[in-house]
This record gives sequence, structure tokens and C-alpha cells, in this order.
Amino acid sequence: MQTVNKDRPSPEWIAATRKRFEVEREVDRALTDKMERRAGPPYTKLPLEKLVQGVTALIGSQLKEPFEISDAKWLAGGASKLQVAFTLNWNRPGAGRETTRMVLRNDLAEALHATSRLREYQIVSALQGVMPVPPVFWVDATGKYLPYPGIVYGFVGGVTKPSNAKSGVTGLGTYMPEDVRNKLAPQFVEHLARLHTFDFRKADLSAFDVPKPGKQNAEWAVNWWDRVWAEDAEEEVPLVALASSWLHKHAPAVEHLSVVHGDFRTGNYLFNEADCKIGTWLDWELARIGDRHQDLAWSTSRAFGTFAEDGKTFLVSGLMPENQFIEAYEKASGLKVDRKSLHYYQVFNAYSMVAMTLGTSYRVARNGKSHQDILLAWLLGVGYMLLDEIRDLIAKEI
Amino acid sequence: MQLRPEFQIQTIIKAMMEDVIPALDQTNQLAMQSAQLTIGTLMLISQHLPLQYRYDCDELQRLLALAETLRGQARRGDKTGAALSALQLAGQTGQDVLQRARAEPGEILAAIRELRAAAAEMVRAVYAEGAEASQTAVGKAVLGMSQEQLLRDRSWLLMQGWEPDPKSIPAIDTLLAPIQGA
Repeated sequence: MQTVNKDRPSPEWIAATRKRFEVEREVDRALTDKMERRAGPPYTKLPLEKLVQGVTALIGSQLKEPFEISDAKWLAGGASKLQVAFTLNWNRPGAGRETTRMVLRNDLAEALHATSRLREYQIVSALQGVMPVPPVFWVDATGKYLPYPGIVYGFVGGVTKPSNAKSGVTGLGTYMPEDVRNKLAPQFVEHLARLHTFDFRKADLSAFDVPKPGKQNAEWAVNWWDRVWAEDAEEEVPLVALASSWLHKHAPAVEHLSVVHGDFRTGNYLFNEADCKIGTWLDWELARIGDRHQDLAWSTSRAFGTFAEDGKTFLVSGLMPENQFIEAYEKASGLKVDRKSLHYYQVFNAYSMVAMTLGTSYRVARNGKSHQDILLAWLLGVGYMLLDEIRDLIAKEI
Repeated sequence: MQLRPEFQIQTIIKAMMEDVIPALDQTNQLAMQSAQLTIGTLMLISQHLPLQYRYDCDELQRLLALAETLRGQARRGDKTGAALSALQLAGQTGQDVLQRARAEPGEILAAIRELRAAAAEMVRAVYAEGAEASQTAVGKAVLGMSQEQLLRDRSWLLMQGWEPDPKSIPAIDTLLAPIQGA
């Protein structure tokens, strides 16, 4: 398979790959940027001071009044970003002088997702007041001030799982006790419904392309991960080729476009442990304008669920049985769930996760491009379970 | 299988050097020494791993030559007779094993990857140009092969804890076919 050196891609190969897979413009920009930087040096540990300098320059470019940054410290985060918490003393427009706890989310040399901070900034800004999202302040979309592109959020407290809960890495397979999931499940559904019924056409989402009616949405979605697989995978997998071909052949038309989170699951919201109220939804980097079934299928993936105490009932995102989830969603959103589209996006989501794990995780870790190569190498292992999920899902249709 | 020891070791060494060792109490000599030795040992394993199989075959070949020489030097005597029989038996076994050890692990992996790529390309071509019946047949063939292979892949990684129902996955040693001729 590897007739090209993907660790040192030529400009001609990058151009040919861009031409081969039609995707949204900003997705193309982020992926192209990744490939153009690939031959560069591996990630080296960044001193905290360097990120503080960068965020100082970023904020300085936006504020006219004096400000001061203090109490900077590293935060543990996912596999795809560096995160630093800091306190900003500033003259906040409309509020006067105050100290605000903030978080910088900064890209790495390469990560599990090559995504756009500008899109993340726009979507989170647009959803303020629509559903719980963190306050978002500034973005360095191209790495003009920071070592790599980054975004500054307001700090939001909370937990991703009860203190005594078991879970795998990055919140996968979190077991929630029954009393906790009974409180979280209705909020989970309600927030998803609000997201999918949000009128995105009135928002400033210039970094997002709106697909034409019909199958363009699904084609863009599959092309995105086709391209990631082509750019990152070391060894071919015949089942991946089958999945891609099957997805193109069966692409459904979308009748109602929604903002899609792209990673809507337990582990990506923070809640208050005392009353189990969800305070914010995180990780918007895979958001797009597309088909709601993409989120619905993501939430129902085997990779993100657990079994109830009876050992038989599969709980969507560790919270509720699938039928209950679908029924509650339809009621909350007023939107129908089409089982065929749900099935299609289950295949699609597993396909995208296979591209991320078996393709990107490997490439990033092997080239030493992240701060957590060992975590990426570990995550790679889930790819085989996901491939089996694809096999099982497609087998029902062939 | 993408998750291979050479690759995993590389990430372990990096995590040790960049995250674990700097976080240790630098005055704890035992901990520092053990951490450095851990890295050193992993580097050694990393260097040996691709050559281990060739190293062992090379030694086996040399021992077979030695056995041949020793057999030629054997003179009658009870102890020597017993030793000669054992040496002949061991020599035959060794010769048989070496006969079968034709390809190196790297060659096997290269052949696997070439077949994976060629099969994937064929799937894409049939879906792009083939008749509906061909697409169905190709799909079924890939799904059937994948079912068997993925069972082994998942069993190989069972310890990672991804499986919702780990008891349903057989142990890897019960799934791998014996090497032909063994």
C-alpha cells in the first residue's frame, strides 16, 4: 500500500489527495496544513512559560486595556490537545475589572484529529444560551501567537464521571451508577434535541459549508475520513475499503440539516457531582452541519456504552437503553429517527473512528508528534472492535 | 495487526523520558536508576526484536554444523553412544525446523501488507465498476474473512479492556492455527 512516503509527503501527492476527496473548505485547510507540516520535527515538550507568552500575545492583540495572567498550570486533557488553566485579571467589556479563570486548548504538532480551531470557536460562540457550552473568548486559528493554533475558553468546573466510577481511557466505557444515570439521561437527550433544532442559518458559521439538499452531506462526511485514511494509514484493511465503498453507495439524502456535535457522548460533558446537573458540553472540534443521525448513531456506539447491572441491557453512552433513548429524543426534538439512516451513520461513525485509531493514532505516535504518544498507541487497540462493529453492521445489509 | 511491539516500545520510552523520569524524586537513587535501566532495557529489546528470529536461526545453523562435526568424531563407548543418539535426534529435529524456517518475520509481514493492499484495491475497483452481483459476492467474501481475522485481533488485544463482553472472545492460543508441517 505504502508506495508514497506518508511521513514526508510531496507537494504533488498532497495536491492529488486534496483533489481526490471533496470536503468542506475549512476541513480541507486543516488536513492540508497537517500534511504540509508532517515532515517537520516531532513534538517537544513545551515549557509552560512559552504557552503563557503565546496566550499573552493573543489576548494582547484583542484587548486595549492592561491585563495580567497568573496561576498558570497544566491540565490533564484528552489525547488531542494541550490544556493550560490560568487566571486573567482584565477589564471585561460590559462587566468591568474582574478576574476570570480560563483554559487554553492548544493544538499539537499533530493530533488524533486535524481540525479547525476557528470552527470550534464559531460553533461554541453560536450555541451560547442554546445549550450548556463553555464561554469562549479568543481564538488563534493559525498559530500566529501560540506555538500551534489554540482557543481560550472560560473555565467550567465539574466531573465527567462520578468520583468512584470506573471507565477506560478518555472516558470511554464509563459506568454510571443507576441513580446518577437517571438524572443525567434526560439532560443528555434534551441537550441533543436543542442542538439539532438550533437554527444555524442565523449564526456566524462562516467556517462551515452548508451541504446542498440530497447526498452531498454524506459524501463530504465519508470523503473526510477517506482522506484521513489515505493520508495516515500505514497498512490497508480490506474491510475498510469495503466500508468506504458501501458508505458511498448507500449515502442517504438528508431532509433536515442540523448542527452535529460529532462526539456527543458521556465523557464529553461536565456535571456537578452534587446534583448531577450538566454544566457544559465539551470537544466541539468535529462539529459540522449535517445529518442528526450522525450524532444519534455516535451516542449509540458500542465503544461508548456499557451494560447495565443485569449484564444484558446495553446502555447508550452508559445512560439508557437504545429504544428509550430514541423515543425520548423524538419527543424532545420533534424530529423523527429513521432507522435506516441511523444504521448508515453507525457504519459511518465506526468507519471514522477506525480511521482515527488505526490510521491517525499510529501515524502521530510513530512520528512522535504528540505529548501522549503512549496513549495514542493504546487507543489504537479499540480499532479492531470498531472494525468488527462495521462488519456486523454491513453484514445485516449484504 | 498494527499494534506491534516495536511501535509500542517507542511510545513507552518517550513517555518514560518525557513524563515519568522528570516527575520522579531526582534524589531517590534507586528509583532513578531503575527508571534509567527500564529505558535501557526497552531500547535493547527494541533493537533485538526485529533480529531475534534471524539470530536464533543463525545459531541453530551453527549448532547443526557443530553437531555434524561432533558426530564425525564420535568413537564407541556407552556414554558416547547414548550421547550420539541424542545428538542425532536433536540434529534431525533442528534440521527439520530450519528447513521450515524459510521466511523471516519481516517478509511475512510484508507479504501480509501487500495482500491487504491488493485486496482493498480490488474491493474498491469492484464497487466502482462491477456488477451488483460481483459487489455482493466481494462484500460477503471480505465480511467472512474479516469475521475470522477480527476475532483473532480482538482476542490478541483482550487485555486492553475494550470488549463489552470479554467472555465471548476465545483465548488467542486456541484461535491460532499451528504452523504447517510442525
